[in-house]
Amino acid sequence: MTISRRQFLELFRNSAAALGVGAVNLSVLEKALAQPGGPTVIWLQGSACTGCSVSLLNRISSTSPSTTADVLINIINLRYHPNLMAAAGKSAAAIAEEIAGGSGHILAVEGGVPTAFGGAACWAWTRADGTDVTFQQAVTMLAANAAQILCIGTCAAWGGIPAALPNPTGVRSVREVTGRPTLNIAGCPTHPDWIVWAIGQLVSGAPISVDSYGRPAALFGKTVHELCPRREREEASTYGQDYLCLEELGCKGPSTKGNCPITLWNGRANWCCDSNTLCIGCTDPAFPFTNLRSKTYAIDD
Amino acid sequence: MPSTIKIDPVTRLEGHLKIEVTVDGVAGAQKVVDAKATGTLFRGFEAILKNRNPLDAPDITQRICGVCPVSHGLAASMTLENAAGVTAPDNARIMRNLVLGSNFVQSHILHFYHLAVQDFVSGPDMPPWQPNWAADKRFDAATSGVLVSHYVQALEMRRKAHEMGALFGGRLPHPPAFVPGGFTTTPRPERITKFRAYLAELIAFINNVYLPDVGALANAYADYYSIGRGHGNLLAYGVFDLDGAGQSKLLRRGRILGGTGSALAVDPKAITESVTYSWYSDTTNNLSPSSGVTQPVYPKGGAYSWLKAPRYGGASRRKGKRVTVTPGAPYETGPLARMWVNGEYTRGISVMDRHASRAQETLKVAQAMDVWATQLGSGPVYQQYVTPTSASGFGLTEAPRGALGHWVDISNGKIGNYQVLTPTCWNASPRDSAGVPGPIEQALVGTPVANLDEPVEVLRVVHSFDPCLSCAVHVMRPAEGSKIFALGHYHGEDEVHEHTHSH
Repeated sequence: MTISRRQFLELFRNSAAALGVGAVNLSVLEKALAQPGGPTVIWLQGSACTGCSVSLLNRISSTSPSTTADVLINIINLRYHPNLMAAAGKSAAAIAEEIAGGSGHILAVEGGVPTAFGGAACWAWTRADGTDVTFQQAVTMLAANAAQILCIGTCAAWGGIPAALPNPTGVRSVREVTGRPTLNIAGCPTHPDWIVWAIGQLVSGAPISVDSYGRPAALFGKTVHELCPRREREEASTYGQDYLCLEELGCKGPSTKGNCPITLWNGRANWCCDSNTLCIGCTDPAFPFTNLRSKTYAIDD
Repeated sequence: MPSTIKIDPVTRLEGHLKIEVTVDGVAGAQKVVDAKATGTLFRGFEAILKNRNPLDAPDITQRICGVCPVSHGLAASMTLENAAGVTAPDNARIMRNLVLGSNFVQSHILHFYHLAVQDFVSGPDMPPWQPNWAADKRFDAATSGVLVSHYVQALEMRRKAHEMGALFGGRLPHPPAFVPGGFTTTPRPERITKFRAYLAELIAFINNVYLPDVGALANAYADYYSIGRGHGNLLAYGVFDLDGAGQSKLLRRGRILGGTGSALAVDPKAITESVTYSWYSDTTNNLSPSSGVTQPVYPKGGAYSWLKAPRYGGASRRKGKRVTVTPGAPYETGPLARMWVNGEYTRGISVMDRHASRAQETLKVAQAMDVWATQLGSGPVYQQYVTPTSASGFGLTEAPRGALGHWVDISNGKIGNYQVLTPTCWNASPRDSAGVPGPIEQALVGTPVANLDEPVEVLRVVHSFDPCLSCAVHVMRPAEGSKIFALGHYHGEDEVHEHTHSH
């Protein structure tokens, strides 16, 4: 049996009281009664690792929407997401085909687009008539009438690790495959606050200025090093040294755009450089470069 | 008359999986009589790793899977340390265990509440929870509501498990603190305190919510104790080293044949791979992965998956010029295999036993972490790692969803060859050269299907394995004439053997 929104809230309120769950979650659900809908979002996964979707689930903020549940219940109408949707098989495929036949949806793409084997390196779904739809075909058809295309993570934006030399499956970016501009929410994985920020801007109709790589300037305007609290510190000589600058070990913070030192990661628990390790440049269009952990290594010497 | 059902995409798992089942009347009931599992994405990580700096392997291989990156980061670090003959300091071993354990807790909670439970309970009346198949939802409204509210609470709990792991890992997913030679984070006292506070909350959730909910599911769907058994073969590499050499582990290495008997030794040399039903040249059939050379053939008659079929314990027999190879047995891997090999869960092998053993393992790992956190000391976390010019190594560990192995050849200081064999390669494999189905395929046979339009019973069986196709299908690459899928070239075989018998 299906639970109505109102039942959902009341049941949640009762069990939350029993479990001692805080007020934040209840406010999330109360808003759901007031705002029954949002823009349709279809989230596709291609040559990807699911890491950006997992990262989105880690959203926690003192500002609304506070959590992923808040986003799903109050902000967007997430009709298709391979990891989260209840529907499967032809029921899921029918949703995607219906959205593709309409317009005005937000297309979120996680992962690059493999073009080898005529796209058969990645399939999206099987139609009711039994024909298989490649991920390349799915992205192409859903991009055509999308109001906006979000590239969730470095793979969708520029190919990322699956497109690294020798690019075994001919991975292309969503922009290359569709010929349409994309808003590139970079990162491997991308930060949940960056995804939610972009969705918030789109939903509210606020303009988004982007850099020459299609990344929001508000998020990727400065280098990690410029924002890093360790930049004036002594140089670390090895891993495992607290509060020292990692530039001499090969940190890519000086050339990598991102506000990680300010947002931090995982509810502000930590971030790469504060675990005494390198920024490996995961928001860069050239990621993963020819090396990640050395200042001198060349892949083809 | 038999009907064929295709489920594509199989949602609520990681990666891309297609399931095709044939349903027919068996003794008056509609049941699955045949099943095929197809992995539908490949990326080619081994080709990407070749010629790179070996130090990149932990970062690159973590991106195989955003749900089990910690296991790949650990396996790669162990593999490079094995190649160089070095052992990580105790503090590093413990912090690795804490980050890995955090991700086990995160992944198991995510699996039950966010991937599996909607096969039994219908969620709120809005996307992405609707539409949902209405078939065979047995809970009353009050119980359904409680489970759905726990879905929301579990989102918070799995997030906190990641925050807990990030205290040492740097961030999650894709923690940057895993490096050969040890770990980069220091175990500062405030981090240990925060870690244990998160853990206390998670242990309370596991005890008070997760385990009782699995119990409630088992009561309402007790028939699922006899659905989805499969071959009954269980394989675990073991995980959570309790000493520097990995001689002692929280969860032991071993295998169970036919669902009975005590745990048998695991010898990596006994693994071979069939390609009869995979899109690879038949001339490469049933090779040991250490010598496997595979060429893609696409399309190929009869083939239906990019996955090969790993098997354990095959045999070859020569008669004149003709060599007949019998592939070994298919093995299921995952929490049930680990808990069974450890002697802690032996009730049975089924859909519900997979859920129950996974929940029990979650508590076991969480409780162990609370002890490990107190064992962190002021000693070193890292010793300088020097990449050997020429060496080979391997590392065997576990992802939340089963046994994971990495193998490397280093030549001229670069990665000459890198190979990965993931848990879902075992679980979601196609048929082998003898026509024996893979573990998920076999587990589906006999599953009742009441409504051909809403085959939720099939989803329940598949989801019970917690498949992770992101992991499983990375291993093929289509470069002509090159090796596509191989465990590859591990040397120091005596050491492998000795390691196998370390328990």
